[in-house]
Amino acid sequence: MATPTHEERETPTAVTRTARPGERARALVQSRAFLLLAIAVVLAVLVVIAQVRGVGAERLLSLAAWGVMLGGIIGLGSIGLTLVYGVLKFPNFSHGALVTLGAYFTFTIIAWLPQGEPLTPLSFGWEFPVALLIAMPLVGVVAMAVDRVVYRRLRRQNAHLVLFAMASLAMAFFLRSLIYIAWGPDFHFYYPGRPNPALTLPFNIRVRADQLFILALALVLMLGVYALLERTRIGKAMRATADNPELAQVRGINTERVIAWTWIIGGALAAAGGTMYGLSSQLRPEMGFWLLLPMFAATIMGGIGNPYGALAGALIIGVTHQVTTAFLSPTYGPAVAFVLMVIVLLVRPQGLFGRSGG
Amino acid sequence: MPLLEAEGLTAGYGDSEILHDVHLRVDEGEIVALIGPNGAGKSTLMKAIFGLVTPRHGSIRFRGKEIAGHTPYNIVKEGLCYVPQVANVFTQLTAEENLDMGGYLLDESALPERKERVYALFPKLRERRHQRVGKMSGGERQMVAIGSALMLDPALLLLDEPSAGLSPKLVDEIFANIEHINATGLAILMVEQNARKALAMATRGYVLASGQNRVDGPGQALLDDPEVGRLYLGG
Repeated sequence: MATPTHEERETPTAVTRTARPGERARALVQSRAFLLLAIAVVLAVLVVIAQVRGVGAERLLSLAAWGVMLGGIIGLGSIGLTLVYGVLKFPNFSHGALVTLGAYFTFTIIAWLPQGEPLTPLSFGWEFPVALLIAMPLVGVVAMAVDRVVYRRLRRQNAHLVLFAMASLAMAFFLRSLIYIAWGPDFHFYYPGRPNPALTLPFNIRVRADQLFILALALVLMLGVYALLERTRIGKAMRATADNPELAQVRGINTERVIAWTWIIGGALAAAGGTMYGLSSQLRPEMGFWLLLPMFAATIMGGIGNPYGALAGALIIGVTHQVTTAFLSPTYGPAVAFVLMVIVLLVRPQGLFGRSGG
Repeated sequence: MPLLEAEGLTAGYGDSEILHDVHLRVDEGEIVALIGPNGAGKSTLMKAIFGLVTPRHGSIRFRGKEIAGHTPYNIVKEGLCYVPQVANVFTQLTAEENLDMGGYLLDESALPERKERVYALFPKLRERRHQRVGKMSGGERQMVAIGSALMLDPALLLLDEPSAGLSPKLVDEIFANIEHINATGLAILMVEQNARKALAMATRGYVLASGQNRVDGPGQALLDDPEVGRLYLGG
């Protein structure tokens, strides 16, 4: 008696299993390989345009090397963005302000410290890394304090996620205003006028020592994030809370504490990214705001909530961004990030490393 | 003194009240089965005990201490662990990491020994401990879920439909595991759709319907009760 209903229930699944050609094509287009291919095509087109415009291979290689460095800076910011998204599920628009704040904190702390001789070939003395190490936890504490004052209240009221996003936008403007008040609208340099000549590496790649330092620091910090998330208890608890916050509480994890640590770590990494960015160009009150788009693009590209994906996305965006400057004014840089982000959203909204079906 | 005692419990979500004046008791070493039709409020009662739904009235005492309205992570510290019906594992974490999270409140040095105990109970998990739980079968996930809840060595284990979605063979396996766990002295309160099997192994049972207590008594007595059989056990 029960058999016919059983068959009826099985029929629709059988239909969906034998994918029609259209569906198979769509599945192919939405695959990770296809997205990687699309990104590779974009890069190849950029390289071809550069060749046509007469840009040499060595210059392109140098630009790519700078792109990796820029990717490191964007990646440091994106990790915080994606960690906060993973645990709290809202896009934190004020993350750019934390990046700026980090750069300016380092600037002020350097002024307080006694100045050392430049560590040639680097442009800065020992006081720079020391100031950075002080600025990182400070910005982490600022991020945590903002959470305590603003977002935790919203959490307690079970507010809609849109409200969190709007509140973070408000915090972005608020923090930026504070930066204007404290440091003024003018550009600053960590070391105005100090030379930092480019070194020549194999294949005639020309990079400055500062840029290598930035890259090395980004690598070290990312290894640190990896070790934290995979090896430490608080890191595993962060992943668990991002995965299933209610179950995390049921297992005895104090999720408020996990959230506080998420902000501290995200803020500290943003500060490092901002300081690196300031070292590679200059300090402006809007610097973090302009990094927000590439940071979001990297986060979305890697799959929102996935720190390793954000890193991969940041590298792709950094390299594309720099290679474009071979033939386009650098002011169009954000457009490149934007185009890549739109491609990802159209092709595979869950990103390179996101869970399928998202 | 009863291990867990809920009295006059009223709870719900938003404007709707699901539980009305419910009472429930679990003594040391017992298996207590909570049965009743869909929407009777069984899962809500579990969540209310565990602080995931804040009770509006009534008291919940665990070993004589009032826990009504406490947060889940404070209730865990009292020696009460809970396996929700759905989303009861961290799918992005490995089996071993899930167990680590189950023992989050323990000193790190105590973890290996506790994990050994879980692996002894579920040898399959030892083989697959470095596998992401999202890639595991329903039966293996249930082992991870129960194993994680055992990490703190609780006095009372709350199981919400441990057999849901499992094949008949696995259902028997999970029930055998539950009886085994109970034999080590752990009291168990379980919600079960498989009401006959649950009552057969339970010390006592409660029938809940429309958010109210209907009948309670020894498991076998409920099985033998023609009224209960007709209304709640499908004749």
